Amino acid sequence: MFERAVNVFWIALGVATAAYSYTIGLIGVSGPESGLFPFIAALIVTGAGIALFGSARSRAAAPVYPRGAALGRVLGVVGGLAFMAVGIPWLGFAVAGGITMMILLRTVEHARWWESVALSVASVAVVSWLFGHVLGMALPRGPWGW
Amino acid sequence: MKRLAAALALVGALAAGPTFAQTPDPEVAKLKPKDFPTQPIEFTVVYPAGGGMDVTARLLAKYVEKHSGDRIIVNNRTGGAGMVGHAYLATQAKPDGYTVGVLANLVWGDAMLRAQGRWSLSDLEPIGYLNSDALTWVSSTEGPYKGMGVKEITQAAKEKPGTIRVATVPGSMWDYIVEQIEANAGAKFLRVPFQGGGAGITALIGGNVDVAQGFYSEFRGHLEAGKVKPLAVAATSRVDLLKDVPTFNEALGGIEYVWQVIRFAVVPKGTPADRKAYLTAAIQAAMKDPELVEEYHKTGVFFDPKLTDPARVAAGLEEYVQREREFYQNTGRLK
Amino acid sequence: MEAIGGLLTGFSVILTPTNLYLCMLGSLIGTLIGVLPGVGPLAALALLLPVTFALAPVSGLVMLASIFYGAMYGGSTTSVLLNIPGEAASVVTCLDGHQMARQGRAGAALGIAAIGSFIAGTLSVAAMTLFAPALAAIAIRFGPPENFGLMVLGLVCTLYMISGSTLKGVLMIAVGFLLAAVGIDVVNGQERFTFGFINLTGGVELLAVVIGLFGVAEILSNVEEIAKNTVLATRIRGLWPTLADWRASWRPILRGSGLGFFLGLVPGGGPVTASFISYAVEKRISRHPERFGKGAIEGVAGPEAANNSAVAGSMIPVLSLGIPGNPVTALLLGALVIQGIQPGPLFMVQRPDLFWGVIASMYLGNVFLLLLNLPLVGLWVQLLRVPYRVLFPIVLLLCVVGTYSANKNAFDLWVMLGFGVAGYVLRKLEYDLAPFLIAFVLAPLVEQSLRQSLVMSPDGALILLQRPATVLMLAASAVLVILMVHRNRKAQGGNR
Repeated sequence: MFERAVNVFWIALGVATAAYSYTIGLIGVSGPESGLFPFIAALIVTGAGIALFGSARSRAAAPVYPRGAALGRVLGVVGGLAFMAVGIPWLGFAVAGGITMMILLRTVEHARWWESVALSVASVAVVSWLFGHVLGMALPRGPWGW
Repeated sequence: MKRLAAALALVGALAAGPTFAQTPDPEVAKLKPKDFPTQPIEFTVVYPAGGGMDVTARLLAKYVEKHSGDRIIVNNRTGGAGMVGHAYLATQAKPDGYTVGVLANLVWGDAMLRAQGRWSLSDLEPIGYLNSDALTWVSSTEGPYKGMGVKEITQAAKEKPGTIRVATVPGSMWDYIVEQIEANAGAKFLRVPFQGGGAGITALIGGNVDVAQGFYSEFRGHLEAGKVKPLAVAATSRVDLLKDVPTFNEALGGIEYVWQVIRFAVVPKGTPADRKAYLTAAIQAAMKDPELVEEYHKTGVFFDPKLTDPARVAAGLEEYVQREREFYQNTGRLK
Repeated sequence: MEAIGGLLTGFSVILTPTNLYLCMLGSLIGTLIGVLPGVGPLAALALLLPVTFALAPVSGLVMLASIFYGAMYGGSTTSVLLNIPGEAASVVTCLDGHQMARQGRAGAALGIAAIGSFIAGTLSVAAMTLFAPALAAIAIRFGPPENFGLMVLGLVCTLYMISGSTLKGVLMIAVGFLLAAVGIDVVNGQERFTFGFINLTGGVELLAVVIGLFGVAEILSNVEEIAKNTVLATRIRGLWPTLADWRASWRPILRGSGLGFFLGLVPGGGPVTASFISYAVEKRISRHPERFGKGAIEGVAGPEAANNSAVAGSMIPVLSLGIPGNPVTALLLGALVIQGIQPGPLFMVQRPDLFWGVIASMYLGNVFLLLLNLPLVGLWVQLLRVPYRVLFPIVLLLCVVGTYSANKNAFDLWVMLGFGVAGYVLRKLEYDLAPFLIAFVLAPLVEQSLRQSLVMSPDGALILLQRPATVLMLAASAVLVILMVHRNRKAQGGNR
């Protein structure tokens, strides 16, 4: 079921990008224009998507999708990364990283409170030192200056 | 493990080392605002590390550090031929004095033609002029066009349109000068697109193009080895290190063949006035250092007399902006 | 025998305490950079460039160069142990290296990677010593048509890397082409697929895609299954490669060295392309290609050798002609320019101390790196015993910082996350991600060189047939495609 949805996604992607590529021009005076290569690639994507949709032979053999606790762990990591992406420009690396690690350690692996805090602070500190001082790369700082 | 830590610590010390021995200039120090800077200042370069712009910025950073005593980090924010970095400086960089953009006049083209309303030149305030580099045509010392000057080559391009291959970078001054020459002489060149001037010069030596366009620092090594010959420079007067090379205006008899990279420093709009004044003073002090002038001179750049007066930098640049805007309007790129 | 004379000059320059120390330090930092996921040699060199201002030109150049090839040694470590590439040139090492680690043979994988890198490094520097000027002259004649031929050959090799459904593999390659089109079209300056987003004008950042597809996706897959004390390998079977491993590896190492050297030499090539093509070649030549992807040591030996010798290859155009072929060598060039030195064709004659000094340092650097990395193998292997639940948050943090280090742009983190989720899903559905990545890397070069060739040719597409090197490469590509289709037909016929 899910795999069929993905195949439909490929078909939709192929058609949409082919249409867009067509509008930016395929062949010009001096040869291919901006749209030609993406157009051909889009056609291949559409064709392959259709072929995959129809063919039973190319189906993945019994993919295992996460349920319950496993799904929770996966979503936890995804959520953590999203939080980092949003948080780093505002809160700075140290704070955003620390909070994310705390959440991951608590929810995904059920570490104890003091373990989580210690590990979060330690790893964020080490990474900041490694990149900030040894390599001289400025990691973004938060509103508190660090 | 201990040895590892010691080695890493040493690297850290090395990295911090060169910046610790500086005593700031008195005129710079007296403009220093309270609590500024408490962390390193970023010099943003929108082109990849190692290129001409990057070298300029790093040399500047070295001397600004020397004269101000502050720590400077050069950061390359690359992508989209400078577009990503320009947009970052204009829209995302915090105007708190910790970000200084080291830009070239190529930002004007981006702002006028490609920004699509997302940002404009008024979002960037110039605080200092660095140097200018004139676009130069070079040809190979082998091949069918060796020994010819720019006038002869243009004539050949007129007689045999579409056969003389010129390396260009699309959408920038490399293209514009070819356009001008074609329009004025009735010639037609075959423009081969590359990602930068350097790639074009490589192609010239490999025999894949007939004329390349670039800057002195890009072809100096090949010039000394006798592989390339400069044809003309797109400046208002001859360049020191290329005294025997005519300007385009001289060779083709015009006044409009002036295309150069003008390098200058900016801060995002809204930077507090005291911090802006401090940064301006620091850059001025660096630019007066004879060592820096000499290092820049070796890379083949020149100092445009219209822009070297610090009080007139913004106005002088605005004149050049206006000239470029007129060019775009005359050629139909801008309404 | 001026090469020998030159080398002696070089060694006399190098064998001072300062320069030796800097060579060692650079190798150490390079290894560290290689191990950290995401941070690659380019970012490290850019960060450490200011340090070289205070040093003499030789010392600065030696340090920077040693970081470059040091990173190629270290990159295989996380690939093998965690299935997360240290940088783009180590992606292929994940494919078989990590499987070997799961089978308890991480020590053998890491050992072969280190020794293979040493052999490749030494051989390539020797070739550099003897043939630099001649090779540079060849490299400079590589114009757009030759580039096109080479990139097409590379793409065809990608087809060989597809394991599993060919249809899905071809789809991935096409998607790679589509993604590579995002950004500014180099040939005419037009924006494509950016939809007004400024962050997309530069295209999608390769590093973010690599870390997302291979790093984050890997973590997501593992996190799904972890119990309290999951470790990556329950049994460690010996720390060193066995005799059987050696017999299987020595030919891939030699092939990889040669291949990588030439691929580093040409513009647009470099360690990344070299590693992929070496993998594809090993798989094609092997008598049991089905072993690849399941722990075949040839899949580690060849690519690791290739990415190391590509470093020496890419140094040749810079040192002999002053022309950089990739961003890292462009940076090395910039470092010299800042010191007031402009490498060009006369560099070897004007500054023999610099030219030969760097080459001599590369010999020494390879020795240092071997001595450094081999003992560390025992240490790294212990990492596999650390419970994954403790390991992964730190690795995740490193991935985030590593990706961020590319452009200092938080947008790349979203790209990393998006590709992480996509990679996780696609893996479940048995899509092969490596072909996507190599297509993404090669597509801009293929497109650019073809369009440049067509523009500069008065005869249109015929230019591709007028240049001997191009004809050779295109013909080879066609032959390989025909052979592959033939093989597939036979395999399918056999299955019925």
